[in-house]
Amino acid sequence: MKYIYSIIKADYLQRTRSYAFLITMAITIYAAYSFVPPPSAHYTTLNIVGFKGVYNSAWVGHLSAMMTTVMLSLYGFFLVTGGIKKDVDTEVGLIIATTPISNFGYLLSKMLSNFLVLLTIAGTTFVVSLAMFFLRSSGYPFVISNFIIPFLLLALPALLFISAIAVVGEVFLGKRAILQYIGFVFLFGAIMGHTQGESNDTIAVITDPFGLRTMTMSIQNQVNNEFHTHIDGVSMGFTFHKKENAFRTFTWNGITWTPVFMLSRFLWIILSFSLVYISSFFFHRFDFKQIAHKKKKATRYADTTPLVPPAITAISMSALPPILKNYSIIPLIKTEIMLLVRKGSKWFWLVNAGLCASMLFTPLSISHIYLLPVLWFLQVTRLSELATKEKTNRLHYFTWSSYKPLQRMLPAQILAGVILMVTLALPLIIRYLLVLNGFAVVNILLGAVFIVLLAVCMGIVSGGKKLYEIVFFLITYLVTQKLPLVDYLGAIAHNSQVLYTVLILNIALCCISFWARNYQARHL
Amino acid sequence: MALVITNLTKQYNKHKTGLADYSITINKGILGLLGPNGAGKSTLMKIIATISKPTHGTVFLDGEDIVANPDRIRKVLGYLPQDFGVYPNLNAYEFLTYIAALKGLGGNDLRKRIDMLLEGVNLTADAKRPIGTYSGGMKQRIGIAQALLNDPKILIFDEPTVGLDPEERVRFRQLVSDLADDCIIILSSHIVSDIETIADEVAIMQNGRLLAKAIQPDIIKNVEGRVFETLIDSSHLADFKTKNLVIDTNRQKDKTRVRYITTTPLAGSTALTATLEDAYLFLTHSNA
Repeated sequence: MKYIYSIIKADYLQRTRSYAFLITMAITIYAAYSFVPPPSAHYTTLNIVGFKGVYNSAWVGHLSAMMTTVMLSLYGFFLVTGGIKKDVDTEVGLIIATTPISNFGYLLSKMLSNFLVLLTIAGTTFVVSLAMFFLRSSGYPFVISNFIIPFLLLALPALLFISAIAVVGEVFLGKRAILQYIGFVFLFGAIMGHTQGESNDTIAVITDPFGLRTMTMSIQNQVNNEFHTHIDGVSMGFTFHKKENAFRTFTWNGITWTPVFMLSRFLWIILSFSLVYISSFFFHRFDFKQIAHKKKKATRYADTTPLVPPAITAISMSALPPILKNYSIIPLIKTEIMLLVRKGSKWFWLVNAGLCASMLFTPLSISHIYLLPVLWFLQVTRLSELATKEKTNRLHYFTWSSYKPLQRMLPAQILAGVILMVTLALPLIIRYLLVLNGFAVVNILLGAVFIVLLAVCMGIVSGGKKLYEIVFFLITYLVTQKLPLVDYLGAIAHNSQVLYTVLILNIALCCISFWARNYQARHL
Repeated sequence: MALVITNLTKQYNKHKTGLADYSITINKGILGLLGPNGAGKSTLMKIIATISKPTHGTVFLDGEDIVANPDRIRKVLGYLPQDFGVYPNLNAYEFLTYIAALKGLGGNDLRKRIDMLLEGVNLTADAKRPIGTYSGGMKQRIGIAQALLNDPKILIFDEPTVGLDPEERVRFRQLVSDLADDCIIILSSHIVSDIETIADEVAIMQNGRLLAKAIQPDIIKNVEGRVFETLIDSSHLADFKTKNLVIDTNRQKDKTRVRYITTTPLAGSTALTATLEDAYLFLTHSNA
């Protein structure tokens, strides 16, 4: 237990002592504030067509717990995944592998530190939810249990499950981060789809990892009974309405926590631990030579390696050919593109090619709203290290002491990223050009620049990849949900407002990136 | 060519000082930097390499302020940091081409120059392999090759022999000696023998300050006539250490042969010829 406690503590401190975590906390506080919109707001976070609950303790408490569960489960996975990879990269794993800690003990400690990180954020949203009650409520009594119990029964087991999934994903998919992301997105989609089902029988309740179905069904039943109507369902997430929409209000006093519901929450906790336990049998314990294809690679290289390691021979500097100065950034762009292309598995380019080809045949709106954002998001692991890889690979000593790094290196990285994104978007761009929709083309180009500059800016400011990966995922998810606020590539509304907004954002991101890199490169 | 450093201070925070009012003039030839961990050697080299800005003080290269105009030195700089890394997906040739682009090098002869450097560090046979598959020594050699790409006039080597085997270390020292005729070479190492065999001048640092800078014989003069050797009971060694500056010990059954520095040697001690290591340990301990 001593080992486990130490690993949890070290892991937790290592993750929380970062700018990325601080920025995530700030975003979370804002998100928690927006979970309980003012009555005059044009959006709802719990969508019941034509209806709204009054802001009593039960409504605010349950709504906050529910939104925390959904939103934190969604981006929390991206925040906590990578704990084992960190130990691989830093080679701390090699030390851990030589200690008496069991595979299960190690993975359990990773799961619990994941959970603690998410719990810290959930704790913050809980505090904000209390504040929101007093801010939004108009005279309803404050009942603390309406805040605590939903957090304990909805959010906590769900976050534990997400923590376990992050560990299991790393065990089985190793360094293939993008596959973990795709797998999680499908899993999350399936969970949310299941949550919004019609039935509320025992099986349906037990098989709901987030425990939200009981709550949405309770609200749906009350609205149907009270107003003698038949609403199809209650959906979660930010839903924007037109100004003239009027809502009828109802008083909802929470749900009765049935034994079946309590049992289901307990079962999900047990399942979380069980998943980690099972995955411990497949854990590599930092012994990568077990992996067959790496063995093959080693054999192939061994053929060219002399038996006696070669040493340094004489180098006569005067015999070397004279050098010519060439300050062009084209060779840098070429190398940056090469690094982008070589990142990740080669076969994954087939997926990219498939999506590119799909954009030639699917309706324009589908390509623009769904295929292009998803295709771009699949490059997230490439983009997220665009401006961080020098430091990750400890190459920044060379790049930052090179000739005019700010004027040459950073623009080369940005241009390489933009070239990749535009190349991937070419099928859609060509189709828009064929229908003479230059406006959409400009929107896509600006969107490509935006998503690259966002990667560069967040990478430099946070010093890591995580923050960008979370934000890019959320943006992509919300774009596919047709949220106008995050429509950086003009997919939803093709008007000049989007174009100018993205243009201004690009200029701002560019300025911040150059300023921050200038400071960073001289303050090592 | 001269590098003139005046009153250089690097304050990381309230409690941590990298360099404190440090002044030194470095001319052509090899300057060996010696000092314990945290002495400020890497901080000094980072400032000269323009990747760290001093809190106070100036660094002039031939009369030009390189703190204000870092690109002046970057054109003629070759830098081998202590814990540098590589892009594992690139091979040696691609990596050196990339570094050449960073340094602003081009022309038709660049490829030939890279080939010759790879041959010089004996990596030609492995030049097409991803660097991620290289051993520590091979990575160190690719680091040496990149430092020499731009015909540098100022070479900074921070712990360059780490990872090199004994034969490679000897050859590296030979290489550095050959380069010294036309360059300023600043070489830091924990291995005193590396410095001892090649440095024209030695600078000893501690706690961000310069304790001494001179040619080796002048540094060694600090301990001339004070280095002795004697044989004592091993059980007395701990007590002996509290009273004398012990440089080296060698256990021989119940006895221990001790090399130590003192002005009042034990009866029966043998006087020894002082070395740079004796002088280094004497200076750093007496100023601790």
